[in-house]
Amino acid sequence: MSGLTLKRFSIQTQANIISISLSLLTTFAITVILILCIGKNPFPIFGTMFSEVFLSGYGIGQTLFKATPLIICGCGLAFCFHAAIFNIGAEGQLNAGAFTMGLVALKLEAFPWYISIVICVIVSFGVSAFFGLIPALIKIKKSVSEVITTIMMNFIIMALINYFLVDFFAAKSTMHTEKIPENMMLLKFSTMFSFFQGSSLNICFVIALLLAFISYIVIYKTKFGYEIRAVGFNPSASKYIGISPDRIVLLTFMIGAGITSLVGLNFIMGYKGFYEYGFSNNVGFTAIAVALLARNNPIGIIFSAILFGVLDSGGLAVNEMVPKEIVLVVQGVIILTILSINTIVDKKFNLKR
Amino acid sequence: MELFKTILTVAFLTQVFRLMTPYYLGASAANFSERGGVINIAIEGFMILSAFSFAMFSIITHNTWLSVFLAIVINLVFALLYSLFTVKLKINQIVTGVGFNILIAGLTKFLMMIIFHSSSNTERFEGIQDNEFIAKIPVIGDILSDYIVLFAIILIFISNFVLFKTTFGLRLRSVGENPEAAESLGIKVHHYKIYGILISGFLASLAGIWLASEQKSFSDGMIAGRGYIALAAMIIGKWKPINIFFASLIFAFFEALQISIQISGTPIPSQIIQMLPYLITILVLVGLIGKTKPPAADGVPY
Repeated sequence: MSGLTLKRFSIQTQANIISISLSLLTTFAITVILILCIGKNPFPIFGTMFSEVFLSGYGIGQTLFKATPLIICGCGLAFCFHAAIFNIGAEGQLNAGAFTMGLVALKLEAFPWYISIVICVIVSFGVSAFFGLIPALIKIKKSVSEVITTIMMNFIIMALINYFLVDFFAAKSTMHTEKIPENMMLLKFSTMFSFFQGSSLNICFVIALLLAFISYIVIYKTKFGYEIRAVGFNPSASKYIGISPDRIVLLTFMIGAGITSLVGLNFIMGYKGFYEYGFSNNVGFTAIAVALLARNNPIGIIFSAILFGVLDSGGLAVNEMVPKEIVLVVQGVIILTILSINTIVDKKFNLKR
Repeated sequence: MELFKTILTVAFLTQVFRLMTPYYLGASAANFSERGGVINIAIEGFMILSAFSFAMFSIITHNTWLSVFLAIVINLVFALLYSLFTVKLKINQIVTGVGFNILIAGLTKFLMMIIFHSSSNTERFEGIQDNEFIAKIPVIGDILSDYIVLFAIILIFISNFVLFKTTFGLRLRSVGENPEAAESLGIKVHHYKIYGILISGFLASLAGIWLASEQKSFSDGMIAGRGYIALAAMIIGKWKPINIFFASLIFAFFEALQISIQISGTPIPSQIIQMLPYLITILVLVGLIGKTKPPAADGVPY
């Protein structure tokens, strides 16, 4: 029995590796064709991208800095996706949490930094989780798809933040909150290693890695994670092994949404020192692609987040030659190629999911 | 009080009927797909795509009806691609839909930079002209002289007829309710699902074309979640063409109200007014009595 599961696991791993590499190759090919279509030579573009991203400490630092929120948000979404919750409201949820984090931090000057950061994290986690609770309840009570409600919540949350920011909390004639106390700023890598000079990479990257490991253990090695996956796989069958799908959906939605709030740590405590409207730059949507590419495996998410970090900072580096919006096209193409190639490869390996 | 006076005017009613158009077309689009058992979250993306391609072709060719045609064709190609993913490859429909929406949003932004060198909006163009003869009819002429609005209103009867009085509709619905049974009766399940998705792509394209034509340009984010609100209208309308029409009217009413409030210059902050359509959508969904009941095999790949 154990031999059988072991063998099955290795076939699954093989299939994963094959389909991920095929998807990346296909996406690369499509990108090359797209660049050729607009009459540009792709090779100098990739060359510049490579040298800007990989050949300097600054480039590497910036790439990892941009990967950090994607790892965090991707892990939050991985929880949801494992439970078959299609949360596309991460963008709103993380902004709600980060906005609160920026405001709460202002009131905590009197405390030692470790206590104030813990308070900030708990409060913002709670706020984001609350915005996961609303669509979860509507899903459970009315069986209305969370896709619609989370998208609506995105618009509502962003409008509310805009209102509170403009009318109450923004620093004069800006779209950001006041600067938080200096002692709450997280350690930057560049102060420890001069290699990363000038980049914004901070200790939050390590926190994101820890989060990914913890998420991996929770999802794959605990009873709770088993229940999440069981509900995601087949909600009605999971009832017969004593799981309440409603309870799992509610908890998972709140945890997933709550985790996304940690994105605020990277930007507020690790970089700018304040919450800024629009800081997230669609991380909540990009993270969907990040999680899908990694097949919702948190360890895989680290790597796919770094790949998207490369695309993001690389896209900026080549903006002169080709509009950086090409990165958005590449993200969309990755989602669709990974979906289709996964299915085809699984069929070849006779794996049913 | 002023506001109540505005609501009771013919101009306001006209506005409501016009604004109903994209919601109703979008919701009907989603309905045809879901009646065949395929959830179509990509309605939002389809609307963005057609609005953009209509604007792009209008600016390039200066020929409105040719642009309408080309925008529809492009949408049908994407609808076909969507059916390849969801019907042939049997990939999860919601994930595919979200993927399509992300791809299309990115693609239009990219093409805007390439063709119009702007990340926010295209230049302006003519848009579809109203029918002059219908426009002369008092009161309803203002509403019906717009070809797409006119089509949307006729569509209530067409879709009711097609879905419930024709063999095609019966087969489409049987595929969405119980594909195994349909197959055993010799119905080609995959074909009908694909037909449903193609009709969906066609109707969604009209919604996008109308929005771009109204605005006489394409701007980034102009669809602003209307595709998703249309899905909500379909759910509230319980997958029935006439009910969907009334649900769309509700959303159109609140959008028209939102515009009136904005113009009236009330002390209500603009951000709060702007979030009204989304808040109303959630509230209406919450206020639904009982659980919603989609076609039995909706969302299940076959």
